[in-house]
Amino acid sequence: MKKATLSRRSFLKLVGGAAAAGATVGAMPVAAKKVGEHFEPYVVPPEEALPGKATWYATTCRMCAAGCGIMVRTINGRAKKIEGNPSYPLNDGKTCARGQAGLQALYNPDRLRNAVKQNGRESRIFEPLHWETALSSLMDKIEAADPANIIFFGGVMADNLYYVTSRWLEAIGAPPPLQYDLHAALEGRATSAKAAKKLFGTMQQPIYDIANADVIFSFGANFVETWMSPVSYSRAYSKFRGQTGGRGYLVQFEPRMSATAATADQWVPIRPGMDGLVALALGKILGGGSFSGMYHNIDIKEIAHASGIELDTLKKMARILANADHPVVVPGGTPAGHSNGYDSYLAIHSLNLILNQLGREGGVYISPNSPAEALEAAPMPNSFADVEALIERMNGGEVEILFVHGANPVFELPQAAAFKEALANVPYIVSFSSFVDETAVQSDLILPDNTYLESWGYQVASSGGDRPAVASQQPIVERMYDTRSTTEVIMALAKEMGGAAAKALPWESEILFMEDMSGSIYGSSLTPYTTKTGKEFWAAFRQHGGWWANKKLSAEPEAVGFKNSPLPVAAPNFDGRAREYPLFLHPYPSVSLSDGRGANLPWLQEAPDPMTTAAWNTWVEMNPQTAHKYGVHDNDVVKIISPNGEIEARVVVYPGIRPDVVAIPVGQGHEDYGRYAQKRGSNPMDLVGTITDPKTGALAWASARVRIERTGRKEKLARLESLHGHGKEELT
Amino acid sequence: MATAKKNSLNTPENEGGGHGGETTAETRWGLSIDLDKCTGCQACVVACHAENNVPVVGEEETAYGRSAHWLRIERYWEGEYPNVKAKFMPVMCQQCTDAPCEAVCPVYATYHSDEGLNGQIYNRCIGTRFCGSACPYKTRMYNWFDPIYPEPLAEQLNPDVTVRSRGIMEKCTFCVQRIRRTQEDAKAEGRDVQDGEIAPACVQSCPTDAFTFGNLNDSESAVSQEARSSRAFRLLDNLGTGPAVIYLKGGETRV
Repeated sequence: MKKATLSRRSFLKLVGGAAAAGATVGAMPVAAKKVGEHFEPYVVPPEEALPGKATWYATTCRMCAAGCGIMVRTINGRAKKIEGNPSYPLNDGKTCARGQAGLQALYNPDRLRNAVKQNGRESRIFEPLHWETALSSLMDKIEAADPANIIFFGGVMADNLYYVTSRWLEAIGAPPPLQYDLHAALEGRATSAKAAKKLFGTMQQPIYDIANADVIFSFGANFVETWMSPVSYSRAYSKFRGQTGGRGYLVQFEPRMSATAATADQWVPIRPGMDGLVALALGKILGGGSFSGMYHNIDIKEIAHASGIELDTLKKMARILANADHPVVVPGGTPAGHSNGYDSYLAIHSLNLILNQLGREGGVYISPNSPAEALEAAPMPNSFADVEALIERMNGGEVEILFVHGANPVFELPQAAAFKEALANVPYIVSFSSFVDETAVQSDLILPDNTYLESWGYQVASSGGDRPAVASQQPIVERMYDTRSTTEVIMALAKEMGGAAAKALPWESEILFMEDMSGSIYGSSLTPYTTKTGKEFWAAFRQHGGWWANKKLSAEPEAVGFKNSPLPVAAPNFDGRAREYPLFLHPYPSVSLSDGRGANLPWLQEAPDPMTTAAWNTWVEMNPQTAHKYGVHDNDVVKIISPNGEIEARVVVYPGIRPDVVAIPVGQGHEDYGRYAQKRGSNPMDLVGTITDPKTGALAWASARVRIERTGRKEKLARLESLHGHGKEELT
Repeated sequence: MATAKKNSLNTPENEGGGHGGETTAETRWGLSIDLDKCTGCQACVVACHAENNVPVVGEEETAYGRSAHWLRIERYWEGEYPNVKAKFMPVMCQQCTDAPCEAVCPVYATYHSDEGLNGQIYNRCIGTRFCGSACPYKTRMYNWFDPIYPEPLAEQLNPDVTVRSRGIMEKCTFCVQRIRRTQEDAKAEGRDVQDGEIAPACVQSCPTDAFTFGNLNDSESAVSQEARSSRAFRLLDNLGTGPAVIYLKGGETRV
């Protein structure tokens, strides 16, 4: 290459081009050379940045907590398309709808473009700040505060962020991060981990080998939609349907037919909160073998009556289980949404024990977790009771600084918990949100994190897959704006504080931290690629999108917690009296919007809900019989009233739901969170009370009873299907 | 030769009104969809938006039935509560052999490629919407307005695909840009395109591998093998359009 002399003309190009230069410092393109460590203008383009030629970078999806491996197509320094990483064993080259939409988080017009302070909470008047100013004012607040009163509220946190944050908090004497978000509550993540702790003596999530099962009984596990690691489980579902010698038999127990129930061979419309009791009845019919004591005193007839499942159906179900070679029983989200959730999980898991499917093909395994001690997955999320304790502390003036990252508690928690009101007692609130969401509106300072396509990180696959795997996350594009990685902000704070904090996070930069962490797996005999030096491994780790074992490696659960004594499953508690509130409320996570975090992405707003084909708003699903009883039709606006509040929604007459249940998707009803999200629909969490499962402190989010009132208004819901044929269109 | 590769799609059920989309050309792109594996998850729908710069029309226009999805998942109810079932069916342009949309265009904006693709020339289209009316599958989408990309959302656009303006009809192309790219790459390397090498965006994203894409006129290809499955059927086969999209009906396990 000819050596360029710096003329005035090329100097101007250099200055102008520096901001737009696409070379991502340190990121490893797949099968391409490392990019230089300095900015380059396009007069001297980076080697792989040929005009019109795409470069693919491997990284980690952060649209949910599963952490799939993805590949991003970039052209001239801009991300253009997200695909699954075909090498990464968790998702095997595939993505879900939310994973596909990640570009719109990066290029969203409503992103915060720099650090801001809010002039008066809820004023929505933001003043841009230089990062130095923002961080030094934050330092002042931290130094003035009692460390015990500094709280970090995260969603289900990325493993790298949890590692850095928890070390920093520990070093300064603050409590560990509190991890809670609505999506995790709706999928029963904490309940699942607590049940696993009791039964299998491990905090790792159980993995259900549905790919090799011939019969699956799923109690509200929406594993092809949103539950745990949906792409991983969808891959397994595909194998389940494609196996030789049959196509498997899937039974879904759920009050409302979800998309998973629609793909099932049989949907059993179970009465809300009865999952555990039905599992006990099935166990009783099966006999229980040497664990028959678990089913002592079980009255099958009584359970049939209480659960709304006929006795003959229960017997037939038990026969299906008994005749199967490799059955698996999966406890999912809905059982965890009741006050008896923990007991239900124990009862459901006991079926796997008496069917002898623990650690057997097509049965239950334990997440293999990480190959190295240093690279561990973040612990399981906290319970709602922990959040309630925090609210109490806030109200008592015991929280001086509240950090919020990756969660939107003001939107996600039930109104009845009064989280927003409690924030008024916190003197200083810092949000790390990339968007002005409902919680950021209550904060004093916003230090926007980079979006995930601009960030470093790693994620241990802990809720799916058949082998240890760690996904590597690297910036795909240069930072769009003056945002800063929260990991790096915390490192900077620690360095500034010195002492124990600085010692806990000794890395000069986030990149060096990443290199160090990934280095802990270097040299493992299970490696999928061979490297000669640590440096080479670090490059391969980024280039391949992580590290994974080169063979199947699942841990077998040890049945340490089962006893041959009766399993108690209490009747579920509900909010409101049946006479006043005759219907059960079944909130469910939206396939595209999740718990509401996807509502600011127009692709996800426009993606129709699979079951109703509706988009852009909130609806309430009612059985035709119930709709008839209330004299309402499709598109009628009704009030849904619970003891905790009321919302409005449009009626969808829905054949796949129990007549005593109404279902509302979670995700809409944002006050803030950008132009695509705000001021549309309503949030069913406004109807939910604060009943918890006394054994785990989990929120019983399906415990609200409601009644319906007509408003007399009609508003057309945006739906893909026309209503003329009631979804049964026939062309004649 | 082409005839040697030709498959035997003329099964008894395909005779009469319809035919199976086979041609004498060497290549006839086809897509099979296993309805037993489709879970309705919408991954393909969003992937299609991202790959093909499909506009987002918003709530009001969606309510008018003007959403622009090139690919949609239809859901059909069967039976009544409690014995009710719901079935999913992804529907996109069927790339018909005898396409009703092609005959009606007054300006020849719709055309048929020698690889069997049913194309739309955007800069020729004058927006009569005749093709949309003629299409029995309702997979042609009309741009009632110009797409809106508030800055910097336009950065998401795929540079390989045109952004369509107001007054233009658009539709699924089987991701022709991906077909061409793969063909060019193969040509540059001096080899043939392998079966399974081309994956339209929907095929690539699908978490359950419900889709199979390939050459229907190659009897060895995975898609033509699926087309010969006893579960195979074509949408509105009696109309005689000869779709290149083959559906495999969902199975039933009896216990």
